[in-house]
Amino acid sequence: MAELESRDSHDMGMHDEQLAGRTQQIFFKPSAEENFTYPGAYEVDFDKETEFDAADMSNKDVNLKIRDLMSQGYGSITIRNPGAKHSLGVCILNRLQLTFDGSLGYFGCGLIDGPNVHIKGRVGWSCAENMMAGTVVIEKNAGSTFGAALRGGDLVCKGDVGSRSGIDMKGGTIIVGGKTGMNSGFMMQRGRMVILGDAGQNLGDSMYDGTIYIAGKYESLGVDAVESEMTQTDIDWLEKKLSIYGLKAPNGVENVRKIVSGKKLWNYDNLEPSEKKLIL
Amino acid sequence: MSQENTAAKAAPGVEKKEKPERDIHNLGSSFIFKPNVIDDIHVKAELGRYRMRGFSLFKKIPHFDDLTFLPGTLTRFVIEGYREKCETKTILGPRAKRPMELDIPVYITGMSFGALSYEAKTALARGATMAGSATCSGEGGMIPDERRYSEKWFYQLIQSRYGFNPHHARLADAIEFFIGQGCKVGMGGHLMGQKVTDQVAEMRSLPAGIDQRSPARHPDWLGPDDLALKVEEVREATNWEIPIQLKLGAARVYDDVRMAAKCEPDCIYIDGMEGGTGAGPHLATEDTGVPGIAAIRQARKALDDVGKTGEISLIYAGGIRNGADLAKAIALGADAVAIGHAALIALNCNKDIEEADFPNEMGVEAGYCYHCHTGRCPVGVTTQDPQLRKRLNPDEAAERVYNFLHTLAVECQLFARACAKTNVHSLEPEDLAALTMEASSMAQVPMAGSQHTVGRPDMTRY
Repeated sequence: MAELESRDSHDMGMHDEQLAGRTQQIFFKPSAEENFTYPGAYEVDFDKETEFDAADMSNKDVNLKIRDLMSQGYGSITIRNPGAKHSLGVCILNRLQLTFDGSLGYFGCGLIDGPNVHIKGRVGWSCAENMMAGTVVIEKNAGSTFGAALRGGDLVCKGDVGSRSGIDMKGGTIIVGGKTGMNSGFMMQRGRMVILGDAGQNLGDSMYDGTIYIAGKYESLGVDAVESEMTQTDIDWLEKKLSIYGLKAPNGVENVRKIVSGKKLWNYDNLEPSEKKLIL
Repeated sequence: MSQENTAAKAAPGVEKKEKPERDIHNLGSSFIFKPNVIDDIHVKAELGRYRMRGFSLFKKIPHFDDLTFLPGTLTRFVIEGYREKCETKTILGPRAKRPMELDIPVYITGMSFGALSYEAKTALARGATMAGSATCSGEGGMIPDERRYSEKWFYQLIQSRYGFNPHHARLADAIEFFIGQGCKVGMGGHLMGQKVTDQVAEMRSLPAGIDQRSPARHPDWLGPDDLALKVEEVREATNWEIPIQLKLGAARVYDDVRMAAKCEPDCIYIDGMEGGTGAGPHLATEDTGVPGIAAIRQARKALDDVGKTGEISLIYAGGIRNGADLAKAIALGADAVAIGHAALIALNCNKDIEEADFPNEMGVEAGYCYHCHTGRCPVGVTTQDPQLRKRLNPDEAAERVYNFLHTLAVECQLFARACAKTNVHSLEPEDLAALTMEASSMAQVPMAGSQHTVGRPDMTRY
């Protein structure tokens, strides 16, 4: 974004503009560095703790309650009886210690940037999708499309996850303590995915970049996914990362396998004739 | 005298015409394997892949041109053409806490930064704002200056999630779920390596220079039941305040719209097969989708049938070139229209500007260029090349966009007044007649000069 930031309206001669129609001055202030106030991000104090029971609340009311508490500066919130409601804890855009004493439904903790979330139960589909930063730790199992389009932070499921976990990953780390289903790491772009159990078919299919570590077996690799040599850096990183969450590779991190992009699909037009069959 | 004798004797002084020589080697040419088809096969035999291009479909299909207005004469009381008030204000997503309010029934559709240059994106934003209209981020994330300049701004949630940022979602006036587009229904976006510069790649978390073929499915939902939950998640994320729009490529429109309506969005956007693209397989552009005149009618019927007319707004895009197309789309059932390629043409697309040399730079004359996918746009619109970008003056371009949007609205008013409406949104199918049987069948309006609608069992109006 360097070029964008260095270009402002002065460079473009916009101050001499002779434009008809509605004025733009009310919202365009070229002197402001970014000129945006991002709404919905709060300053909170981790030592300010509270909890509430969500058993009789709708998901909308739970989310509104979380925002209300954050606006009051509460930095540690525990929610009892989340009842596997959908879309709980979405779009939290600041630091927060959030604990769900139970399970979440679909899209739990999606679109978040910064909070540390602990889920003591299970989660449904698309947990922490598009997470920007923070940590989400799930004690039991997770549904499909786990961490879809993840951009940053650590997403940890200590149990098994469904299919398409880490699909379209753009950064961050996903750790699966158990097994993962088919098409995991599909079209992965960046980031790391660690699978301590087995994986289903098409692991890492069409991955552009990023790294998948797998301690168990995989049914098949996807298109353009290839095994690569583990380095000492990989081993050190894995040991450190897993220890943070109290996890271990069953046969030691030295025996984990590493999957990366073959990069043959980066420029399809330049493939040799025989390589073009890759996409059939 | 018999005719044979007359023909045999030429009049005195008149030279006898010689019969043309018979060409026993030429029986004609193939209707299926025309020279351009043969050449296409030759090219593919060398390339070993499908051919890419920009722009919209090349072949003729039933279109808005095949419909005509039936203005008031004695049966309708016309509105004075240039003075009397004819409302153009348009509200999208009326159920939302903060609906999208536009001064005119047309806005700029989503086109990505990456496909378009920085100058083009900001000029579109400024032009739309001057006209009291809106723009959309398109794929690839928000560029801050586009948001600054756009008074009303859709943020696109697309399959690839390139550059999607929840902070930016909170800045949006509406969220558009991109589920498909008209010119290549069922496929994801394309951005060829020439346009994936360091800057574009960083915004999309991609390696620079790769041929980007975006996914066709969303990563976190697969079917309409999941989509309903996803819509709810985004509503939670945006505090249940702004409209949520679902953009669909026109295919099985009636069923798709009914399913979309069950997901409880605020707006449904139908993209007809006339819609354009910055890059896509040529064949997909030609051979997927449904024409707009059929799609709008089907979509409106679907909304009527599920009782959502008035609650869920219907937006149409694809092949809109002028106010007549706009007015016809509204008459067929659209609440608003979005334009893409027409807006790029207003920026300067295919214009023979002084700095450009179309024949040498693109291999075609101005007016025939469809090479957006190459990133070598000679007018600085669909390129990331710093030298080519300088050919687009964003100040002048913004004003042209404003002028064009304003003209669309004024032309639309012109037809509405002629059809006796004081509000452009009062245009209705009753105001239209079809010039071809195909158009009558698709748009479900009577053939001109008759009460007969093709395809209706009783051959009467829809």
